[in-house]
Amino acid sequence: MALLQISEPGKSTMPHEHRRVIGIDLGTTNSLVASVISGSPTILNLNNKSNLLPSVIHYSKDNILVGNDAKKLLSKDPKNTISSVKRLIGKTIGDINKDNFPLNLEDGDGVINIKTSIGIKNPIEVSAEILKSLRTVAEKKLGGELMGAVVTVPAYFDDAQRQATKDACQLSGLNILRLINEPTAAAVAYGLDKKSMGHFVIFDLGGGTFDVSILNLTKGLFEVLSTHGNANLGGDDFDQAIVNFLSHKYKLNIKDIEIQSTISILAKEIKESLSNNKEVEVLKVINGKEIQETFTREQFKTLVDDLIKQTIEATKSALNDAKLSTDEIDGIIMVGGSTRMPCIQEAVKSFFKQDLLNDLNPDEVVALGAAIQANILAGNGQEDLLLLDVTPLSLGIETMGSIVERIIPRNTTLPVAMAQEFTTYQDGQTAMSIHVVQGERELVDDCRSLAKFTLRKIPPMVAGAAKIKVTFQVDTDGLLSVSAEETTTNVKASIEVKPSYGLSEDKIKTMLQSSYDLAEEDKNSRILAEAKVDANQLIELTQKALDTDKDLLTESELSQIKNGLKDLINALNSSNKDKIKEATKKLNSQSEPFAAKRMDRSIQKALTGKSINKLEL
Amino acid sequence: MTQNYFELFNLSEKFEIDSEKLQENYRSIQKEIHPDRFATSTENEKIQSMIKSTHVNDAYQTLKSPIKRAKYILSLHKSVEKITLPPNFLMQQMEWEEHLENIEQSKNELAEFKEAISKEYEQCFLLLKTQIDIEKNWNEAAITIDKLHFIEKLLNKIKITLN
Repeated sequence: MALLQISEPGKSTMPHEHRRVIGIDLGTTNSLVASVISGSPTILNLNNKSNLLPSVIHYSKDNILVGNDAKKLLSKDPKNTISSVKRLIGKTIGDINKDNFPLNLEDGDGVINIKTSIGIKNPIEVSAEILKSLRTVAEKKLGGELMGAVVTVPAYFDDAQRQATKDACQLSGLNILRLINEPTAAAVAYGLDKKSMGHFVIFDLGGGTFDVSILNLTKGLFEVLSTHGNANLGGDDFDQAIVNFLSHKYKLNIKDIEIQSTISILAKEIKESLSNNKEVEVLKVINGKEIQETFTREQFKTLVDDLIKQTIEATKSALNDAKLSTDEIDGIIMVGGSTRMPCIQEAVKSFFKQDLLNDLNPDEVVALGAAIQANILAGNGQEDLLLLDVTPLSLGIETMGSIVERIIPRNTTLPVAMAQEFTTYQDGQTAMSIHVVQGERELVDDCRSLAKFTLRKIPPMVAGAAKIKVTFQVDTDGLLSVSAEETTTNVKASIEVKPSYGLSEDKIKTMLQSSYDLAEEDKNSRILAEAKVDANQLIELTQKALDTDKDLLTESELSQIKNGLKDLINALNSSNKDKIKEATKKLNSQSEPFAAKRMDRSIQKALTGKSINKLEL
Repeated sequence: MTQNYFELFNLSEKFEIDSEKLQENYRSIQKEIHPDRFATSTENEKIQSMIKSTHVNDAYQTLKSPIKRAKYILSLHKSVEKITLPPNFLMQQMEWEEHLENIEQSKNELAEFKEAISKEYEQCFLLLKTQIDIEKNWNEAAITIDKLHFIEKLLNKIKITLN
């Protein structure tokens, strides 16, 4: 009797089998997880109660609480209850105003350290707890291990914040298929649901971040034309405006973490209540002081007027970059819980002089879009849709006089690679330090410092003779990599990378290891299982590629790939993880030119298909 | 990889192009080779799709912008030399800059100025078409490109001041 084949859970090697994938909206205030179930994008609800998981974590020596259970402890145990961690991720202590966070924060090599009663936690670990919690919900609801996830980030997140979010995903044990921008995800959910076409503005005001993106929606292709925003502007700042007003008027000491936390919660309640009521009565005793106020919508609007103006200014900039005027916009999609505020709705409506589209739940639309994109990436869906996104902020390097030389301008379609040549300043200069920055300002100090590299072993020449080519590459996750090379000689120069933000690769590895804490034996069998899955996938896809495109290869190339295949199959039978990995690597490099030729053929096909269609017309 | 950008999009190598066909072909190609199409593929195919997709983006941006397109055609025909703008154009530049400073506050005058500079742009554009597609006069075209580049920047400045 033939043996039945059973594949690794969640990592099926069958190409057309449905793959378990999810979309996650990792929000400042709330997080959600969604998946496409029998063709329709669905929010996976938690304990059959709510769709929203409050992005709050409570640490104690007994356990780690996530969500509502943690939220209940916000005012009781503020120092160990972390909310709005998204405002800390990918940042250092110098980037934030400590007074806005009711937590014990301090500088920790490249990250912000949060001091809790059970020790120091960093924002990446805290975010990973939220992700883990969502992952568990999804695995339970979908009935098994996940193949991958699409996680959303604010479009205006810089490279450090994106990288940190990706690290958090890795730490939570999720296989990340793609990071996508929140407004783009919303456009996917909305555009597909309503079959919309044309120029759409996505106005996304969340708990801690603000994005505005302009997209051109056509059949099968959603193209981001421009994006603008502020990664430090959100509903929390509207709360803060109330906090500042109350603490000033009633002379409350917000340096005291407990008082600060109590007023913050009160401010949020006032703000939310004003979305449904024209005025709100407040009567509360804080630290022995009686607070009695009547808040009206008008009064609130005056307090936050400056914040509203900032969102409209960003919208103007996005329109400028997209080379569009307000009357060329076919629809405005409102996303994020903070767009419920009447003052925001009014401002956007009067700027565009048209009604807003808010018929999808503004809390859920991002997660739904992420789920749809995950489904497309996994090859599950029949949905034929390609997203073309852009880089939100210009990328450049520091030159003489602390001036930024831009290499990739903002709103460039991804993936992108651009290079620029630089030269030496002094005779005999053998090293050059390269400082990578992100932002729109001319001076280095006004931009975000991303990394510092040193290019060494430049052959000594007179000043200005060396040609240093610096190449920037941004991938489809919006993540940057930089390389530098001296081009006048054949000497390959070395690069030292020292990221000025975030965690080092080693630190993540140690964190990962300690979080799994697997026995050596388990670890080995896991590595073997993973190597086998990868090898099987490579064999299957290589064979498929040969079936269709064998004619692209010369006889010797073909026999080389066939040998590589045989070797890999033999290695698989040996069940030796090192042999399998080595054979996989070999076959991968042997079929590299094949992959390139196949890609060229795809381009040819894309265009011939077109001309045939035209003939038929 | 180093395929001619015009060949890539199935266009003839001219300054005057069918921009609709360019966009349509760009989209068709990206739909086939974009990294999102290879998210669960082998490492090899992921890398190759990234390389090709990047190249196609670069080619598209180059051909889409008239100035970049003109520069690209020139780069295919002559080695890049430093060119100098005629002195009378430099004078013209200064006059325009000064004029913009003087009328910053007046919406009407700004709109008029925008109109006038837009016309200059059109003229330069037509000239470039003749110089490249008909006369194949690369040296003269190089000067016109520089003029067009300046006019485009000025036009942007006027638009920003207007808003």
